[in-house]
This record gives sequence, structure tokens and C-alpha cells, in this order.
Amino acid sequence: MMLGAESLEDLSLGAAFLATGGGGDPYVSYLATREVLEDRGPTELISIDDLDDDAYVVTIGAVGAPSVSLELLPSVDDPEKALLAFEKHVGRTVDAIVSFEIGGGNSLIPLAAASARGVPVVDGDGMGRALPEAQMMTYAIAGVSPTPALALDYAGNVAIFETDSTATYERHIRAMAGAMGGMITAVEHPMTGRQLKHSIVRDTISFSIELGRVLRENRGNAQRIADPLRQAFASSLYGEMFHLYTGKIVDYASSIVGGYDVGQATIESFDRDAPPLTIDIKNEYLVARIGDQVVGSVPDLITVLDYETATPINAERLRYGQRVTVYGIGCPEFYRRPNALAVVEPRCFGFDIDFVPIEELSTHHLDIEG
Amino acid sequence: MLRIGIDVGGTHTDAVLLDGDAVMAETKALTSADVLSGIMEALEAILTDHVGQEDSIEAVMLGTTQFTNAVIERRELSEVAAVRIGMPSGRGLAPKVGWPDDIAACLGDNSYSIRGGHLFDGWPIADLDEAEVAAVIDDLVSKKVEAVCISSAFSPMNPEPEQAVAKRVRAALPTSHITLSHRVGRLGILERENAALLNTSLLHFADRVVTSFVQAVRGRGLNCRFFVSQNDGTLMDAEFARHYPALTFASGPTNSLRGASKLTGLQDAIVVDIGGTTSDIGILQGGFPRESNVVIEVGGVRTNFRMPDLLALGLGGGSIVSDDGAVVGPRSVGHKLVGEGLVFGGETLTATDVVVAAGKAAVGDAGRVAHLDPEVIATATSRITEMLNLGIEKMKPSSDPLPVVLVGGGSVLVTEKLAAASTMLHPEHAGVANAIGAAIAQIGGETERLVSYDQTPREAAIEMVRAEAAEAAVAAGAERATIRVADIEEVAMSYMDGNTTRLRVKVVGEIAGLDRSSDRTAST
Repeated sequence: MMLGAESLEDLSLGAAFLATGGGGDPYVSYLATREVLEDRGPTELISIDDLDDDAYVVTIGAVGAPSVSLELLPSVDDPEKALLAFEKHVGRTVDAIVSFEIGGGNSLIPLAAASARGVPVVDGDGMGRALPEAQMMTYAIAGVSPTPALALDYAGNVAIFETDSTATYERHIRAMAGAMGGMITAVEHPMTGRQLKHSIVRDTISFSIELGRVLRENRGNAQRIADPLRQAFASSLYGEMFHLYTGKIVDYASSIVGGYDVGQATIESFDRDAPPLTIDIKNEYLVARIGDQVVGSVPDLITVLDYETATPINAERLRYGQRVTVYGIGCPEFYRRPNALAVVEPRCFGFDIDFVPIEELSTHHLDIEG
Repeated sequence: MLRIGIDVGGTHTDAVLLDGDAVMAETKALTSADVLSGIMEALEAILTDHVGQEDSIEAVMLGTTQFTNAVIERRELSEVAAVRIGMPSGRGLAPKVGWPDDIAACLGDNSYSIRGGHLFDGWPIADLDEAEVAAVIDDLVSKKVEAVCISSAFSPMNPEPEQAVAKRVRAALPTSHITLSHRVGRLGILERENAALLNTSLLHFADRVVTSFVQAVRGRGLNCRFFVSQNDGTLMDAEFARHYPALTFASGPTNSLRGASKLTGLQDAIVVDIGGTTSDIGILQGGFPRESNVVIEVGGVRTNFRMPDLLALGLGGGSIVSDDGAVVGPRSVGHKLVGEGLVFGGETLTATDVVVAAGKAAVGDAGRVAHLDPEVIATATSRITEMLNLGIEKMKPSSDPLPVVLVGGGSVLVTEKLAAASTMLHPEHAGVANAIGAAIAQIGGETERLVSYDQTPREAAIEMVRAEAAEAAVAAGAERATIRVADIEEVAMSYMDGNTTRLRVKVVGEIAGLDRSSDRTAST
């Protein structure tokens, strides 16, 4: 399947939904990728089933602080330059590119790199959502080394990383991103087609475009969008979608802890016929509770939509008084495995609760207007 | 001493004459195609009974949609050269990226991206390149460019690159109009640059609007000061408005909320402005509108202007009611209510007809709705109440009860107490609340900066930003001694080191040089 510039609007909208509050505003990535695809032509999107086992695949995306890129604009040739510099370092060309994070702008950057270099993008990613740290990627969980990896800054300066420890890599690239202006383009996780087949969350690029189409065609009140969204998820590799809550934000507090945006939002139903819902945030929406009862938790997806427009809202744009609808969606099966839960369950984010799949919590849901 | 407030909306031009808090005269005229004759007509109407008192009028405050409409309708926009300082970042994303083609074309295709600007930690992206700046200036001169917009990466933190280039442009093109992005917008270079580009493009038009307005009002014998409403509910001196027309965007709804505050004396309340087709519900917090946090598009261009957070319900005096009374709106006969509504001799059952039939309002001919089934009337009435209650509940900041202020021509629709309201106020002169909001406003100034509390202690940082906002307010016409902080917003920035915070300070002050001996509006 060929993806042209005209697919990007739906892809960004779907990616913002799957970003579960994190991932930053994909708007500038969208603009930059659109320029590349218009200039260099559409990108070929291939199924993981069609990838050669011996293919040499890398991931590419932006790493850093979304709030910084509000002022430090990306350049349209950053992905191409980063890939060229990576190929020079490893002494070979790349056969295919894959996204490491579908949630937010990193769903788009691989398309720009692939279009510019004339290689395909594999349909899928390494998270199925947005998550804050490299060791939470499916690639890392499956044992793929993050390096050799490369970071390229706004001026074309390059840093090379060589370590087998994902934790060390995560620490180093964070520090480097800060020194390189707060936002870099990273090429990482080189692997074979065979390795990718064992670790990819498949089909998430095409699903994100489909999700975007559903959101666009049913734009308007969040009540209208629920059924079409539920149907879209029903025919995906994600689990079931549940309406968790509808109301307005009556309390929102956040602070920066260890470089992360940590906070809590409290949402009260419009006519106060239900106890309030609270959402714990660490860059992404991680745990949703009604009273003491958990109604959804990471790695299942929790997403917040603007009630009037059904537009996904980033955690950094949450605000007192906003009218919102909250949905929970079962995560892709990969993250339900014990070795994956070991790095993404609520305890990994400091919440002292067991992960319970959202479909098992669903009997507790109060179905309010949705 | 007297003040005049005028609010030019899409349909009506409202005007009031105030003596302190007292409304001496009010009028609602139709907005004319040329705007100015409608203003003069409204002015004439409120001065009819006050001939000879022209000398006692100390100021005229104008709220106007002209600049918003110019952008939406792609009129009166002049060509602008865009100079962005930020290379080598942002290659391939030139100014006006993402704009609709038609409005981008109005601004022409002169744009320059040059080296310079800063990173989040103050480190230069690049130094300004003397030869590159000189080449831009030469090109601007050879093309006889008249309007220039200058933006720079992280200029809310360090405006020096914008100022340095502006100095060079001014020296080479002394008569050119210039806007610096850090003076009009907030953090987010694309949205701030877009706001600055729209502002620059409106400067020619602003010059003409302000000049013709001042001349016309002077011609009517008013030798007073002139002010223009900003979108945050404060005023700027008309001379200042020549340079910042984009700051008037969305001032209409803001003035309406501010007027409701003035008419009721309430600082915290919900304001429901019911018109012919929609009801706009807004929140007053500390006497000012609660602001929206979403990206605001003006004429399809993404900006980050401050705008009031409004919920628009499809419910107004002209809303069409279904035969069984169960559905009210969002379809409306709109401004054709007089003619199409039953009580006005028409054939369409509207929300106004329902209220008249219920005996709760005396509008038109009640005999024409006497045949309506009482059950239908009851159903529709409770539907209207339910819609407003739900809308208010959505907007209410917390479960604490808040008073509800009803303004606008359609407020007759509210016939019973709304459960969502602690009390309901139906103030006199509510129909011209927007003109009152314009008349009573103070001068405002706002500054947003990124600061590191590790490098600059919080108190010192707030003082620094407050001082800048105060300078902006003085430039806009405020008296320095009266300036006070109206709002401080601090947002911690994720990932950044050093306790980096986006700090925004808004100040308000009294109008400089006015006699306030009779002014009872000072302490809002």
C-alpha cells in the first residue's frame, strides 16, 4: 500500500488518540512529513508478513521534550540526514524502517525517512500507544539491543551510542537530547526482519489511519463517536473499548518530577450523579479510578477526548473546567504477557496496584451518556 | 464625567453613555456595511438627549469585530514580508506553513529564514549572521516592502534577535510597519508567528480604521480620548491599537462577560448570552472571562491568542420547535424571527412563540399562539430549561453553586429558575452588556516568558515579568501608579532542567490622564 500526503491528517489524528495523553502534539511532525511526501513521493507501507527474515530494519523517531519542540522546529530533512548518518556509521544500507511509537508524532517521522530514502515502512510499531521509556518498547522486551544508535540535532550534529543495556541507552539519550536542544532525531534498535516479527505490534499505522478517518467523519459531540470507535477497535488487534466517564475537569494539578510531567486530574459528571473519576498522569494517562475502584490502568489505553469536538486531548493541554469524555481500551496482546507486564504494569510507574485487564473491570463501569 | 462604549458586532452596533456606573443612554443599531456610519448612527442616538454635554465626555471605547472579519473574509489584508530567525532549525517549514492557500496568497510570498534564535536553555541556535541580515534588508528595500513580521525561536525567553533585526529594518525602511512576534503571542513559534503575521497584515487597515473613527467622532464635537477593546477584556489606547489590531480578536464575547460583571457587581458568575440562534455560556473568574486553552484558529490560521472559553448551545429566540415540543433547535429562523415566528405573523413555531404562549413574555401577538396545545408548551419549556441547565453544568468550574447572569435579547426564554444556578440575575441594560463591558474596562498589559527558577528565584522572576507587563500596559495607555496584577499563570515545563516555568503575568491599570474624581468603576 502506498501512503501519500493525503493520508497524514487521519494518521496524526489516530496517533493522537493512541498517544493516551503523551507523545506531544503531532502537528509539526505532520507538517514536516507532509512536505517530504509531497516533494519526494508516497511511502510504501508493507505488512510484517511480507518482510524478509534477513532484512535489516531500524526504528526512527524524535526523542525529547514535546514542549521544547514548540519553539525548536524540526527540519524536513532531519529524518533523511539521520538515516544517512546511521548507514555511514554501520557501513550498510537499511532495507526497511519501522516506528517505535505509534502514539503522537513518531508515527509520522518513519514515513518521512522512508520516502526520502526510497525504502518501505513496516506497518506496526513498538508500543501500540505512547510510553515514556525505551525499556517499555516491545523491541526491548523481546531482547533487541537498542544500539548501535544515533542522535541527530537541529544543526546536523551527530552522537553515536554503543551499549547493550537499554537502561544505559535510555539514560544517555535523555541527557544527550537535553544537550542537543531538547529534541533530537534518533535512529535505533537495528534488527532483522525475524526479530521484528517477534516483537512488533502489527498493523498500527494502517489502524491509526482508520481510527483518524472514524474520528474525522464523526467529528462532533463525543456521544456520537462512541459506537463508530467501538466498532473500529472491535476489528483491530486492540481489545474492547469501554466508555469510562463523561464530565468536566474539576481539579488538575501537575508538577515536574524527574523530568516527567506528573499529575492528577479529577473529573466530575455534569449532573454529579456519579462519584468523580480521577486519572493519574506521568506524561501519559496511566490509571483511572472511580472512588477507590480502578477502572483502567497501564498498559491498557486510557484516552481523553474533548466532549464537544471529540478531539483527543494531550495531558499537557488538560485544564480546569474542560468538558471531556474518557475511554479505556484493552492493549494489544503483546503487553498482556508476563515478561511485558514486568516492565509496564502500574508498579513500574509507582502505583501500588495489580494490573487487572480492563475487560475484567468493565462490570464496574458506570455508563454515563455514552 | 461621561464615557461612551461602542461595540460593533456582526449584526448590531450597540452603544451606551455612562456617567460613572449609571447608564444615561443606550441604543442598538444595525451594523452598516462601512461600519463607520453605523457607529455614527449609534453615537447620534445616545447623544440625542445630551446635546451640549460633549465636553464632559472623557473617553470613547470601541469594541470591534472588523479585524477578525477582515481575516475571515480575506479583506483589507496587506502583503507582509516574514523574517524568521531560527536557522538551521526548521529547514523546509517556512513561515505561513499550514495556512489555507487563499489567505497565504493575500500576504504574498516574501519570506526569509535566517540564522539565529535560542534554545530552551538560552544557548544560541546560531549567532545572527551580519551578511545574511544585510542581504535580507537589501531585498526588502529593493522590493519596497511596507510591512515586516519578525519572529525568532524562543523569543518569549530572549527577544534580542527580533529586536536587533527590527532595528536594522527600521533604519533601512523608516516608514515600514513592523510586528515583533514576542509582543503579540505566546510560546509556540508557529502559532506566535502566525499571530504576528496576521497582525502585521492588518496594520494598514488598522491605521485607516483608527484614523477615520477618531476623525468622525471628533467631527461630532467629541474632543476626548479613544480606546479599543482587547480580547482579554482590557483596553488599549487607539494609537497603540494601530500597532496591535490582532489583539482585538474575540473582544465581543469578552466585553459581554465583562459588562455582565459590571451590571451585577459579581466577580465570579456564569454568564448566559442568549441570541437568536445560539446561547453562549461563559465563566467570570475574578471579573474576567475564563480563557480557553485550545489552539484557536482565526480564518483557518492556527494562533495562540487568548480567547474566552465559551460553550455555544444551539438555542436562541429563533430556535425552531418540533410539533410535539420535544426538540428545540439547533435549527433556527435566526434574524428572520420577526416575520417567520408565529407571534410575528409567520408560520414557524419558535422558542419565542413557546414562551409567549406560556404567558411568560409579551412579544408580538399572543393571540396567534393561543391555539397551541398546553402539553406541547410544557414539553418545550422544560426542554429549554433542561438544555440551559446541562450547558451551565458543563461550564461550571466546580459543584459549588454560582449565580447565573442572563444577558442578550433571547434571555426571555428563561422562564423559571435554573437548577444549576444559585441565583438568577436579569440585570437592566443586559441587551447592551457588551458596550458597557467596553466602556468600563481598564488598560491591560500581558507578558509571557520562559524562566528558570533555579537561575532566577521565583519572586524575582515574577517581578521581572510583571515589570515587562506593566511597561506594555503603560505603552497601551495605563497610569503607572494604578497598575496591579490581575492574573499570574505558572506552568512547569516537562523534561527541561532548572525548574523551567512558563510564567505569564497580566496587569491592569487605570487610564492615564483621565479625571477619576467621579469614576466609581475603578475597583473591579
